[in-house]
Amino acid sequence: MSKQDIKTEEKFMSHNAWFSIFMGVTLLIISVYPMLKQTSVPLLFIGGAAFIGSFFMFVIRGGFTWKLGYRLTYKDEFLNTVDTIAYKHVVLGLLFSMGAIFLLADELALNVSHSMMATFYLALMCLIYGVSIIWQSRD
Amino acid sequence: MQNNIAKFRKDKGLSQQELADAIAVSRKTISTVETGRFIPSVIIALKIAAHFELSVEQLFTLDDND
Repeated sequence: MSKQDIKTEEKFMSHNAWFSIFMGVTLLIISVYPMLKQTSVPLLFIGGAAFIGSFFMFVIRGGFTWKLGYRLTYKDEFLNTVDTIAYKHVVLGLLFSMGAIFLLADELALNVSHSMMATFYLALMCLIYGVSIIWQSRD
Repeated sequence: MQNNIAKFRKDKGLSQQELADAIAVSRKTISTVETGRFIPSVIIALKIAAHFELSVEQLFTLDDND
């Protein structure tokens, strides 16, 4: 594996982590705010636009898609390990949040749609993945 | 497990990035191995040892918890 490949992977992972956090926050706003305000359409539009905007910003800035060649795993040992552990954190976070929602279901059920809950879970997964990667990669 | 990689690296005047480039791993691999947060594979341990012309035992030592 060449030096350039490894540096590209490091750059990709960093962008991927921050993109996950941005996407997670955006999805969290889209899902939680309407729950509190009992409305959905305007914020969904703004949130969707912000999400697409941030997505393209990261893709253009990162320029990683063709360099990485759509590999499914990182070749560098450390990056691959960190990535795998981050997915474990995501699964654990999802299980705990689903458990918490299960306990609170009766209080939430009348106000929250399935799509909002799906967005909320997706937001949590993205946030946990991004934070986990950044936390594990600290110097 | 403890290691002396940072000591040998600094003795040779190498940065983490230079050592990482020399053995074809990411800089974060070197950083986290040095701080003991990541236990490298035998392959990486051997590569680092070979780079410093040392044995693996001179670089890595087991502690009481291992």
